[in-house]
Amino acid sequence: MITQVSCRKMVVFSDLHLGNPFSQVRRKTVRFIRWAVSQGYDICINGDGFDVAQVSLGRFTQDVPEVLQALKEAVRCGSSVYYVVGNHDIVFEHFLFDWSGFKLAPFLNVRCGGARFRVEHGHLYDPFFVASPRLYDLSTWVGGLLLKVNPALYRMWIRFERLKSRWLNIDGMPGIEGEPASFYCSAAKIEARGFDGVVFGHTHHSGSALLPLGGTYLNPGSWMLSSNFVRIEDGRAELLDFGSFEAAGGQQLVG
Amino acid sequence: MKEKFSQESVREFADGECIFREGESSLEMYVVQSGAVVVKRGSGQNTVQLAVLGRGEFLGEMSLLESLPRSGTAVARGKTRLLCIQPGGFLLKIRRDPTFAFELLQSLSRRIRETNERLHGSAGEGLVDEAALQQIQKILKKEAA
Repeated sequence: MITQVSCRKMVVFSDLHLGNPFSQVRRKTVRFIRWAVSQGYDICINGDGFDVAQVSLGRFTQDVPEVLQALKEAVRCGSSVYYVVGNHDIVFEHFLFDWSGFKLAPFLNVRCGGARFRVEHGHLYDPFFVASPRLYDLSTWVGGLLLKVNPALYRMWIRFERLKSRWLNIDGMPGIEGEPASFYCSAAKIEARGFDGVVFGHTHHSGSALLPLGGTYLNPGSWMLSSNFVRIEDGRAELLDFGSFEAAGGQQLVG
Repeated sequence: MKEKFSQESVREFADGECIFREGESSLEMYVVQSGAVVVKRGSGQNTVQLAVLGRGEFLGEMSLLESLPRSGTAVARGKTRLLCIQPGGFLLKIRRDPTFAFELLQSLSRRIRETNERLHGSAGEGLVDEAALQQIQKILKKEAA
């Protein structure tokens, strides 16, 4: 199983949830992949790129082939494409392994410019997912039904999570707004094992925070809500917005 | 914040400082946070360098897992900082940082493979007697079963 990789430069994005009724990211994703390939980046989808847990078959058949095609094209053009398995696509991993042509991993330790970065989906640090797996599955299924009724409910849920984390974080704990503190704590534990940065997905909350030893914790969030990605280059990892970049006519990346 | 991370400790070593010695009874394992560690075996002219470990690599895990004396000597190369994991905190570490266990298994697997390759390489060069090699393979098969 591949977990140790070296690269000159890489882009990481996550939680596309292709196949989910709420996900309308197909075109943006294809544009992003083509841009990344044109700039010589390796590409990493950091989990939940495809959504089997809350799938709408119509949406899945509409979105997935075009994105897979773009990724295969990226491989043909010489970019390395990595797919870190998340919690919405675990059952899909054999299909991806056999048919996609890109490299599947449970997590990646990326060496770049003398620095080490951990790229991991992060669902293992979700207290709800770990402590109550059956309840989590049930709530995912119920959430899927609600999304079919009205996809806008999802944005309300995300706003609620941000408000909740503000209320609960009276002590001003570092971390990314909207996430349970366990994600930041886990990133700090990983940093202590000799990493310069940690990239998670899963929570759909985009942001970055400084870790105790001076490393950076980043989460590009979900592409269903924004178009943020993490760029790893010259031993640094930073959060950027592909939307701003496109709006600026492709001239520069705006952090 | 500090309390949340107090299950492990960080130890700093100067260049050339000994981390542990062959035959010593100590049970903690380490992860290289910065710097490097040279692992060697034997003494005097019979000293063999086994490995140089860099950032993120493990050492001392055999003593922690098997409660046996150190099988080699570890010395810091340059200013080195190590994350120290005690036997009591080991399971908690795996629980809170599950990919740590995965990487540890990967590391052990790699070392077994490298040892096998070296053994076969030595047999090919005539350094190990074919009969002795077959005997070792038999023992390994028996242990695996």
